[in-house]
Amino acid sequence: MIFSMRGNDPNDLVPPNEDFEDLYENAPCGYLSMLPNGRIFKVNRTYLAWTGYSHDEIIGRPLRDFLPVAGKMFYETHFAPLLRIQGFYNEVALDIVTARGSRIPMLANALQRMDGSGQLLFTRLTLFPAADRRRFERGLVDAQAASNDKIKTLEADSELREQFVAVLGHDLRNPLASISGGIRMLERDAAGKDEQVLKLMQGSVTRMSALIDDVMDFARSRLGGGIGVELKPTDVLEAVLEQVVAELRTAEPDWVLTVSVGRLGTVICDAARIGQMVSNLLGNALVHGSKTQPVRLLASTKGGALEIEVVNAGEAIPSDQLERLFKPFIRGESSGAREGLGLGLFIASEIAKAHGATLVATSTPEETRFKFSMRVDPVGG
Amino acid sequence: MWRYIWPAFGEQFRTVLFDHVGAGRSDLSAYDAQKYSTLHAYADDIVAIGRELEFNDAVFVGHSVSAMMGVLASVKAPGMFGALILVGPSARYIDDGDYRGGFSRKDIDELLDSLADNHMGWSAAMAPVIMGNPDRPELGEELTNSFCRTDPAIAKAFARVTFMSDNRDDLSKVTARTLILQCSDDIIAAENVGQYVHQNIPGSNYKLLEATGHCPNLSAPHEVIAAMNDFLDAR
Repeated sequence: MIFSMRGNDPNDLVPPNEDFEDLYENAPCGYLSMLPNGRIFKVNRTYLAWTGYSHDEIIGRPLRDFLPVAGKMFYETHFAPLLRIQGFYNEVALDIVTARGSRIPMLANALQRMDGSGQLLFTRLTLFPAADRRRFERGLVDAQAASNDKIKTLEADSELREQFVAVLGHDLRNPLASISGGIRMLERDAAGKDEQVLKLMQGSVTRMSALIDDVMDFARSRLGGGIGVELKPTDVLEAVLEQVVAELRTAEPDWVLTVSVGRLGTVICDAARIGQMVSNLLGNALVHGSKTQPVRLLASTKGGALEIEVVNAGEAIPSDQLERLFKPFIRGESSGAREGLGLGLFIASEIAKAHGATLVATSTPEETRFKFSMRVDPVGG
Repeated sequence: MWRYIWPAFGEQFRTVLFDHVGAGRSDLSAYDAQKYSTLHAYADDIVAIGRELEFNDAVFVGHSVSAMMGVLASVKAPGMFGALILVGPSARYIDDGDYRGGFSRKDIDELLDSLADNHMGWSAAMAPVIMGNPDRPELGEELTNSFCRTDPAIAKAFARVTFMSDNRDDLSKVTARTLILQCSDDIIAAENVGQYVHQNIPGSNYKLLEATGHCPNLSAPHEVIAAMNDFLDAR
């Protein structure tokens, strides 16, 4: 506040030496002025101090002479043309070669000065050293390149793994089919305890085959982006659902399953995939639902929508688990020996997705309900 | 690149200006690094444009690396171009044995890195702005440095394709009338480089301009236009 005591004239605040010439010569940035042919005709002291050249070593030479070869190329192919087109160029990164041969990374702004008729008079350049910034920026570029490389490697690894799973699944099918054929041959003459054991073995083969299907569908959906479905008008959906129910009843004779399937008519869908989805949902209810109360399967077409619901009693699924239910390899807390890979619900939801349909799970202490809804266009029939 | 040149020929000629795929206002989604890994793909595009617009005995004007694309296009489609005007051409930028292109491999690698230094401000969000937004003039300010704000990956790939190219063997196949416009004091395509192109394209004309630098079409448009007119009038 000492200055203000001397009066209100702002000039009183200016210390000696703070004039325009000093501002130019000793500014905290380098100044260069270039003729239209690119030759430097004016330079300030700050720039000379930074680069170690004398005044006479710079005057009359083009800026390009003070750039490394790559910088010269950039100057001629990018900097000069753009400056000519837009009359200025901001934030160009240049390495300036000093008198001692070292390089100072700099950032430059350039502005062209024209006469009244638009003819170029000269170009002004302001330069700031930017070593730390350049190091940081190059670090960023390197880090990005490294992370891109890593992502590519990971993606390739992951694809390889899934291909391996798909091939393995495929190769497991053949030995399983011959075991199944062997069991059927033996069943012809079997009686008593043998017959019972063979039936259990056949049940295991069916379960294993379903697991292989799940794994292969999973691997394929990861490789190809979604599960493949073949959508076409079909009127066999009721029969497919009956078949699914019959298979499960054979495998689990003690299980109480109430079925209410209305007339579904002709629907555009992949009937086999819908059957697979229902089988997975019923299998899930079988493992996780109450063992004493029936599981219900409901299917209908009403109000322009095909709705299929699987409802079971038993403990409610906590809401945080409900959200993750359709993710692959998620298994309930009450994990038991009966459980599969945790792919059943994931595949069911992928099948729904592929049909442009929704599969929603709700759970209360009274019941857990999976509801598949798909809009159907009236096809007649 | 041609804003100061083409209006001088707009009345006498049907003038077709285009951006190469990956640059300017071209459809960036059409860019495929694999496909555009040699100048031939760019030359094929020129031929495709010529076929679509039914060019016959047309004049091709190309600057720098585009000049060499025109050379390739004229060889690929005989008759399409009756004349070539090559501004600052180079058949090869890297020194090779007795041939002086002006650069070493190391120079080129360094250039590719320095391109990255000047693309820091680029982001994918810039692309639609660069593509041109005539109904949103408030974005004009954002267009600063837009000329250089091409996708850095494409810019780098293009620079690599350019500076690694070697078209010395294609020069002798040219049958079109050819004018080489050579700048004084051009470090990208020095006088000996332009001379080489001239000596290897049969019957070509060579004109040394007073203009300095690598872009006379921007820095000395009047001199370029006069030289082009002399060449075109002489046929």
